[in-house]
Amino acid sequence: MKRRDFLLHGSTGLAALGGLPVVSRILRLPLIAAPWVLVPMDDLQSDHLKAYGVAFRVLERGGRGEWFLNYRGGSFLLPSDLTVTRDAALAGVRCEPLDEGALLQIRAEIAQGNMDAIPLEKVPKVAVYAPPNAQPWDDAVTMVLQYAGISFDKVWDTEVLAKGLTKYDWLHLHHEDFTGQYSKFFLNYAGAPWLADMVDRNTRVSKSFGYPSVPAEKRAVAQTIAAFVEKGGFLFAMCTATETLDLALASQNVDIAANYADGTPMDPEATSKMDWSRTLAFQNARLELSPTVPEFSDIDGHQVNTADRRQQLGAFTLFNFSAKIDPVATMLVQNHRDVIPDFYGLTTSFTRRTLKPAVTVLADEAGAPWVKYIHGEHGQGTWTFYGGHDPEDPQHQIGDPPTDLSLHPHSPGYRLILNNVLFPAAKKRELKT
Amino acid sequence: MNRLARGTGRGVLIAVAFAGFATVVRAQQDPLNRAFDLERRGSYAAAAELYRTVLASRPAEASALLGLERSLVPLNKLPEIIPQAQKAIAADPKSTSAYGVAVRAWAAADLPDSVRKVVERWAAVEPYDEAPYREWGAAALSHRDRTSARRAYLLARERMNRPDVLAAELAQLAALDQDYPTAAHEWIMAVRQLPGYRGVAVSSLAQTPERLRPDILKQIDRDSTTDARRLEVDLRTRWGDPLGAYKLLAGSLSPSPAVAIDALQQFYEEVRGLTSKDGLEARGMVLEALAGRLAVAQRPKLQLDAARAYADAGDRNAAHRMLTAVAGDSRNAPDIVSGAAATLIGLLVDEGNVAEASKKMEEFRTSLPVDDFQRVRRSLALGWVRQGQMDRALQLLASDSTVDGTALAGRILLYRGDIANAKKALQAAGPFAGSREEATARASLLAILQPIEEDSLPALGKAFYSLDQGDTTAASAALVDVAAKLAPDGGGAELRLLAGQLLAAQGKTEDAERLFRAAIVPKSPATAAAATLELGRLLLTLGRRDDATHTLEQLILDYPQSAIVPQARRLLDQSRGAVPQT
Repeated sequence: MKRRDFLLHGSTGLAALGGLPVVSRILRLPLIAAPWVLVPMDDLQSDHLKAYGVAFRVLERGGRGEWFLNYRGGSFLLPSDLTVTRDAALAGVRCEPLDEGALLQIRAEIAQGNMDAIPLEKVPKVAVYAPPNAQPWDDAVTMVLQYAGISFDKVWDTEVLAKGLTKYDWLHLHHEDFTGQYSKFFLNYAGAPWLADMVDRNTRVSKSFGYPSVPAEKRAVAQTIAAFVEKGGFLFAMCTATETLDLALASQNVDIAANYADGTPMDPEATSKMDWSRTLAFQNARLELSPTVPEFSDIDGHQVNTADRRQQLGAFTLFNFSAKIDPVATMLVQNHRDVIPDFYGLTTSFTRRTLKPAVTVLADEAGAPWVKYIHGEHGQGTWTFYGGHDPEDPQHQIGDPPTDLSLHPHSPGYRLILNNVLFPAAKKRELKT
Repeated sequence: MNRLARGTGRGVLIAVAFAGFATVVRAQQDPLNRAFDLERRGSYAAAAELYRTVLASRPAEASALLGLERSLVPLNKLPEIIPQAQKAIAADPKSTSAYGVAVRAWAAADLPDSVRKVVERWAAVEPYDEAPYREWGAAALSHRDRTSARRAYLLARERMNRPDVLAAELAQLAALDQDYPTAAHEWIMAVRQLPGYRGVAVSSLAQTPERLRPDILKQIDRDSTTDARRLEVDLRTRWGDPLGAYKLLAGSLSPSPAVAIDALQQFYEEVRGLTSKDGLEARGMVLEALAGRLAVAQRPKLQLDAARAYADAGDRNAAHRMLTAVAGDSRNAPDIVSGAAATLIGLLVDEGNVAEASKKMEEFRTSLPVDDFQRVRRSLALGWVRQGQMDRALQLLASDSTVDGTALAGRILLYRGDIANAKKALQAAGPFAGSREEATARASLLAILQPIEEDSLPALGKAFYSLDQGDTTAASAALVDVAAKLAPDGGGAELRLLAGQLLAAQGKTEDAERLFRAAIVPKSPATAAAATLELGRLLLTLGRRDDATHTLEQLILDYPQSAIVPQARRLLDQSRGAVPQT
């Protein structure tokens, strides 16, 4: 069914519902007269984050919608059925009824400006890569998916290595260290129960799969993830996962792990032996050779855990793309704010020097030697990397209280994550570039 | 001013302007000044070139050498300074700044042997100076090499044959290695050498794990110096023993009044933010001690503060002692006397000694300003209320037309069951008197009373009085009884909701659920929404998640305009794990 047909069917289908007023009375909702609702994503929206959940659940129920790129902050057009309005009311999401005339006007406006209407038609099967004992509150993506009410599966090394990722469309990685060095906390947090648990869990899994060490096992996981992207998967990574995934991929033939992780010291010539042709985003990075310095390489521009290298937080600016020519990049930067305060993570940002030439920069800090948010293709799939740990907790420390997203329903930093979740739902079409 | 004078004046101005211009030009022509200027503007490469030019003609020019170092650091090219540093040393073999730059440059080039050679040469020039070894240690630390840093510091100690050389540096190293006994040993020496180190020493040693703290304190205790005592006092305070710290301080105070006052004041700064019982008691003690040592004019204020601290710590005897001393001293300023009297009366009321408090109020009546007097009188009225003497309380408030007084009178009228007058008084008081919590409580109370048509309900008054006395069991039972006699939209629903809340807090969940459901009546939509929220909350605590979800969803859909919808959404989010439990 073409989009136009779908829209037509949608409206006639609703109009044919004779029992509508009765149902409406039962639910005590206002009578639904308009065939559409617009979910505005500008400053009038009462809960930006949950609005994504409302749109996602429409797709989950087999419905369709449209994403109006650059129109009122990246609004959604959804069918105005009782389930949608009830869902929006429960979530506290603002919806505006839209009749055919108003919709036509909006379409005319979209046609004339740097805007586009992208059909949303397939609900992506979402997986979040996290250890089984991970607290939901320590991962920005898990937090925002739960807050928005977007369903997902949790996977970890056992699932990735045993079953692969074939049944998923979208995979998220957060602060996993794919170099197998436990985020290089091993020496500084020696004795901490959570670290002991992490070491024990990783060691058991690597042994069960017959790998000689945790770094070797993590590298195999990284390769499986890269293969998932190559075959058409969508990968979204934040924090350390961005940097260490590429380091693991590039270290196919070189030991980049410290003695405590695999029993042998890191190769002092490791930097020159990295194979960057295997990576997604980065190249020519210089590795951190000291096992006691909790940094991996000079990919990260902020080096937050090293006092003499740490850079101050600034603000990053989202790029403005042509919606009709470059819809993918445009989707990923939909927001009601262009400039967003930066936030630390073990990997906060990506130095421009280490980016591969084909990487699309989605957001950067003007004048700084680093960028914040990048995107690219790998085989048939795509990846997006977003530096930092928690957009609403700029200085996140181990043991900090969890972020309560009900206090940040308009978070522009979290919106970027949700753009990535919805992006695989968009109907693929021939791109002009 | 005539033309000549004007002309001369202009001439002077022009001369001054030219002189200034010439100075600016000369400054701009001086390469060192131009280099400073470029460096300030962030043009480090250009600044470095100019500094090099200066050093080519004046190799021992320390300002240029240090400027070059500052410019090369942000360019990440510090090792490039090595030739200039070598020439500077050759030109002036006693230049400490040149040696310092050379050490840092070789360290940046990661050439430890060269660092060592420069340090040895420097140390030969200045055999009793710690600086070469300090720089050597810093160079090693820049490569995170603590072992070499420690070796450098200990070598200095050995060569200078003094046990306290670079003690602060060694203390910090030991603390980094979590070797707290060594750190304590070194810090004691460092503080003895330079008392200004005490703050850093305390911050460093404060990190000592709890199990090691007694040993560290014993270790410091073995040192009999005043500096060691002060260090121990600060550590005890940081480690949660402010009373022990104060006793130690009091026993080791210097006979010199100025030194003793300084020590007490510093201790006061340490304890002033503490809110624990011991912290408050220690604050009272140090303020009392200060009051005894400072000039007479400062004494009453300190005694008053001490009394408040003692009262907050629950040490009523000490608080009484202080307050009686202040209030009874006729030499004190009237505001101090009235402050002390008001606090003393408040203390007596809190103790239940209302008759004694009344006497005190009469005694100090003339010295209390009107506002303070009314405040004291209200606290006395509350004291009588607590003893069940409503008439006496109302009598006291008869002439109090303030908003706070009216609000309190409203509550007392309610306790007597005089609903009509209680409503009037609470309404007249409005939502602005007292603290925000008090105003909210008053508004909630008024919301409960407003639908009630009866003018007098003594049983309801007793119920509220029981509630304010903390007897929730009696209060909830009485509320249920009264509610049964009222129409649901005539106050019955509101009273059931309140009774349900009290029963839920007591764990009587079945009764609470029944009352919440009974309070959901369409004729009282605001109460129905609030009762639905309470029902949802109760069901969640009972683990009946599905029922709770249904209830909360119904609330959001049925009462979309209700002010409590955001709370319902939050509960819903919590029930499905979308936000953390708080």
